[in-house]
Amino acid sequence: MLKKKICLLGAFGVGKTSLVARYVHSQYSEKYHTTVGVKIDKKVLAVGGSEVALMIWDMAGEEDGAPVKLSQLREASGYLLVADGTRSKTLETARSIRERVESEIGRQPFLFLVNKADLRDSWQIPASELSQLAADGWTILETSARTGERVEEAFLTLASSMLKAGNESSSEEDD
Amino acid sequence: MALRDLLAALDLAVFERLPGGLFEPVGRLPGWFSVTAGFPADLAEHFPMLGFFMPEFERAWEEGAPAVTSDMWTENGANGEERQLEAVASSVHGRRFLVLKVLPPALRAFRQHGVNIALIEEEVRRLKIVAERATQAKSDFLATMSHEIRTPLNAVIGMADVLAATPLTPEQQKYVEISQRNGVGLLTLINDILDLSKIESGKVELESAAIDLRDVIDRALEVVEGRATAKGLTLRKTIAPEVPVYLIGDANRLRQVIVNLLGNAVKFTENGRLEVAVTPDPEGSAPGDLRFAVSDTGAGIPEEKLSAVFESFTQADSSTTRKYGGTGLGLTISKQFVELMGGRIWVESTVGVGSTFWFTARFGVQEDQSDRLINGHPRGETQVSPAAREPLASGLRILLADDSEDNRFLIVAYLKNTGSSVDIAENGETAALLFRSALAGSQPYDLVLMDVEMPVMDGYSATREIRRFENESGAPPTPVLALTAHAFAETAARGLEAGFTEVLTKPIRRVTLLEALVRHAPAGRPALFREPVAHEKVRVEEGMEDVVPGYLDKRRAEVSAYRQALADHNFAAIRALSHKMKGTGGGYGFPALTELGAQIERAAKREDARDVRVRVDELAQYLQSVELEYSK
Repeated sequence: MLKKKICLLGAFGVGKTSLVARYVHSQYSEKYHTTVGVKIDKKVLAVGGSEVALMIWDMAGEEDGAPVKLSQLREASGYLLVADGTRSKTLETARSIRERVESEIGRQPFLFLVNKADLRDSWQIPASELSQLAADGWTILETSARTGERVEEAFLTLASSMLKAGNESSSEEDD
Repeated sequence: MALRDLLAALDLAVFERLPGGLFEPVGRLPGWFSVTAGFPADLAEHFPMLGFFMPEFERAWEEGAPAVTSDMWTENGANGEERQLEAVASSVHGRRFLVLKVLPPALRAFRQHGVNIALIEEEVRRLKIVAERATQAKSDFLATMSHEIRTPLNAVIGMADVLAATPLTPEQQKYVEISQRNGVGLLTLINDILDLSKIESGKVELESAAIDLRDVIDRALEVVEGRATAKGLTLRKTIAPEVPVYLIGDANRLRQVIVNLLGNAVKFTENGRLEVAVTPDPEGSAPGDLRFAVSDTGAGIPEEKLSAVFESFTQADSSTTRKYGGTGLGLTISKQFVELMGGRIWVESTVGVGSTFWFTARFGVQEDQSDRLINGHPRGETQVSPAAREPLASGLRILLADDSEDNRFLIVAYLKNTGSSVDIAENGETAALLFRSALAGSQPYDLVLMDVEMPVMDGYSATREIRRFENESGAPPTPVLALTAHAFAETAARGLEAGFTEVLTKPIRRVTLLEALVRHAPAGRPALFREPVAHEKVRVEEGMEDVVPGYLDKRRAEVSAYRQALADHNFAAIRALSHKMKGTGGGYGFPALTELGAQIERAAKREDARDVRVRVDELAQYLQSVELEYSK
């Protein structure tokens, strides 16, 4: 079976762990648990007729003074960059992570998730900024780990764009 | 044996890496390991983090490094509990060991705590922004709503004013009065709400201008005089001799507070008297620290309700709202204004005896306290109310720019009997063009009335254009009076910057507009006092043909009675005469006589001989010139 490693990156408290819990276990908890280090889950999904085992590396959120460990992105085929729509600062964190990934690891398929879509009424990230990012080539999905809105779609979209990118460069790590 | 157990007791899972890549447990494995991982054979399979670090560990073992530690990671146990793990690759005497250890829960708690605080801080920041936005939105909403309400209200009140000045039956007159009274009441309410919201958002700044305390109190008394008289209440003003009357402060806010308190007093008092008294503040230290008392002989407020009267939308009893009306905002606003003036407000009351509202305020004191002459008469003399002496700017060439047809119609109606000519522009651009061509044709306008919000070109830009034309041609500046339904001071400030001479806030009463015209009419075109509806023809109603001429004759005969009484200083007689005329004029189709009657009565009550004389002259002139028209 094809095995693919993906990472979730973003500021603390944006809902990375909740997105994984929603996707892998169909669960959601209101309780906030900070992730220490990295937490890894597996999920097998079918993309374009073939099965893929996703190794989902849910990485501790970035804090002031505690940047994410980009070394753990090694061998990943893509990543989900997550921001919290209700905290505009998390968009800045996402931008900064994205830049560091580009310069330290290189280009990788990624998807930008603006999470907490269930709280859209109190979003602080202006739509204009999102359209600017879209114009810059970012693929953006507005998700909610609480309601499940577009969560499955997010993982599927990333997986298929990774497979596409993988086929183009034909550097597979089958086993 | 002891060593094997020791490792388990320390929660360490230790393996020796054998040649060929196999891992063999060393000693007993701790409980958490069997729960989490199962068998050492699928070690790297189960711990992907381990797989991630294995290349690094292999290098470390090759080099014989004593210890290389992985990043920590989080593992879910079988029961959903989470554990933080860390792996160490170690070489001891050429043997290769792998140690998995559980990190103490305190580490997680510590981190969780820090992150929680950071999250709370971000939430607080977010809520602060939300709150600021909400306040801004409320402010914008109020400004917009006040504009949207004031514009039609302008037309409603204005048309009622215009209608009241036409011949009406007593019944119609009553209807118009009700309409006027409620229109003005609604306007007051809107202004109150706006005031309160401005205070709440810290937008109110007090003026610091020279004021005459007596004048402020007189003007406040004038506002309630009509209602007090109708109820048979006496009004009294007492200023202690040691109180300096020439002060520095905000006359409008002070008057507003006194009017609010008097308004309540008159509302809740059925008989007796109302009094405004001013003394030095016994607790004050500066000569400008004053204490005011507004007292009545009214219903009084039960003790348990006393503390609540200064809260918004509160009256002593919700049933009082039904009986007496009002929103209860007046006292809240008064309290805020008093506090802005550096004072406090409180109330003492006895049910059935009356209430006294006290407040203190701090004023500056003008150096010169000797009575000065202003406009030829001592300032302390009671001022004639604006309604009592309606000025009239005559023969002005006026340019009116307003996009609303209703407003144009209203302003033209206001100016109907002034002999002024009004040119109309529907937007700022047209106004600027008309102004320029009038200037070029040596027929400049005397005055411009400029709406602020208009399509194509707004009032600000149009006024800037006008000022530019004047500069280019060296013409003197023409008064430009802005008409705006925006009550916020920002509009005024921006307008004055654009070159407005004065900003008038809609709804504009007829008398306000005429007073402004008089103020700004160019020298050489003096403002005249009204020749009371002189050239107007009065249509006699059907069925009244037999009585109207006789009615007028009687009034003509009374003119000499007025003059005689005036000579005798018999103000009581003047009041009786004028009171009767006030009550009957409108009914016979002469609202002007009702108005004059009211004016004479007021002047007589003040024992203002000069004003009575002016009014009686007006009456005589009116009676001489009025022409009757009969239906076919």
